[in-house]
Amino acid sequence: MRNHPMRTIVAAALVAMALPAAAGPERITWPAGFAEDYVLYLQVDRHDRNRVRFMYVNPEADAQARGGEALPDGTVLIMADRDAQLDSDGNPVIGPDGRFVATGDFTNIFVMEKGAGWGEGQPADMRNGDWDYAWFQPDGQLKPDAQYGGCFSCHAYRDERDFTFTYAKFLIDQGR
Amino acid sequence: MKHASWVMGIVLLAAGQAGAAEHVVKMAGGAYEPAVLNAKVGDTIRFVNQDADWHNVFVPTAAFALDLGKQEQGAETILNLTKPGTFEVECVQHLPMLLTVEVAP
Repeated sequence: MRNHPMRTIVAAALVAMALPAAAGPERITWPAGFAEDYVLYLQVDRHDRNRVRFMYVNPEADAQARGGEALPDGTVLIMADRDAQLDSDGNPVIGPDGRFVATGDFTNIFVMEKGAGWGEGQPADMRNGDWDYAWFQPDGQLKPDAQYGGCFSCHAYRDERDFTFTYAKFLIDQGR
Repeated sequence: MKHASWVMGIVLLAAGQAGAAEHVVKMAGGAYEPAVLNAKVGDTIRFVNQDADWHNVFVPTAAFALDLGKQEQGAETILNLTKPGTFEVECVQHLPMLLTVEVAP
């Protein structure tokens, strides 16, 4: 029985679609326009690095989570860094709200995304549920020399909060 | 008269600073000690890690959120209390470590 080339191509495409994307940052899409389209839920002043970290969540996941549901597949959490404004002595300027004042554009954008079955591609000793991580540069390109072991090992400390340091706590504090 | 007002301002400023307190919070035995702290705006908190393991001061509370970074054994960090309210302090590595700080105006 001869196999038609088109049949082979279609079969290969179907198999590829059925398989989860390989583990790693490449399966996370650059969240273009996040500063306008996502929900900014927290600012974290990083005193030891003179940085201001802005925490975002995609609106679809935020709506479900605030409604009492678990964070769904497709949840995207972003930690975007900007420099803190410094005074003439090199100390961070404190704004009228008692917080650091951010200056300049985003310098690094760290993304964690949850995907169906994504954890299955991770070694058991570093699996963070179905989360994976990506470190983007401001131009939307993945940081070439980024290491991700620290993301998994550190977020593992918050397994009771679905591996999130701030968003699950934010929901708790909001009374959800 | 303008000079008198200026002197009065200096005196009030000095009095305000004299009233500021430093609170010491130990990181010991995998816990913050004390676990609840009452302070006021202008006070400072000195965190002292007495454990062999590292800890840190991570505040996830909205409008107060901050991170003082990794704190090794024997290291100290200082947190200035700049506004009133209540916030929680967690250790990144040890979730059960919890400190509640209540800052009065």
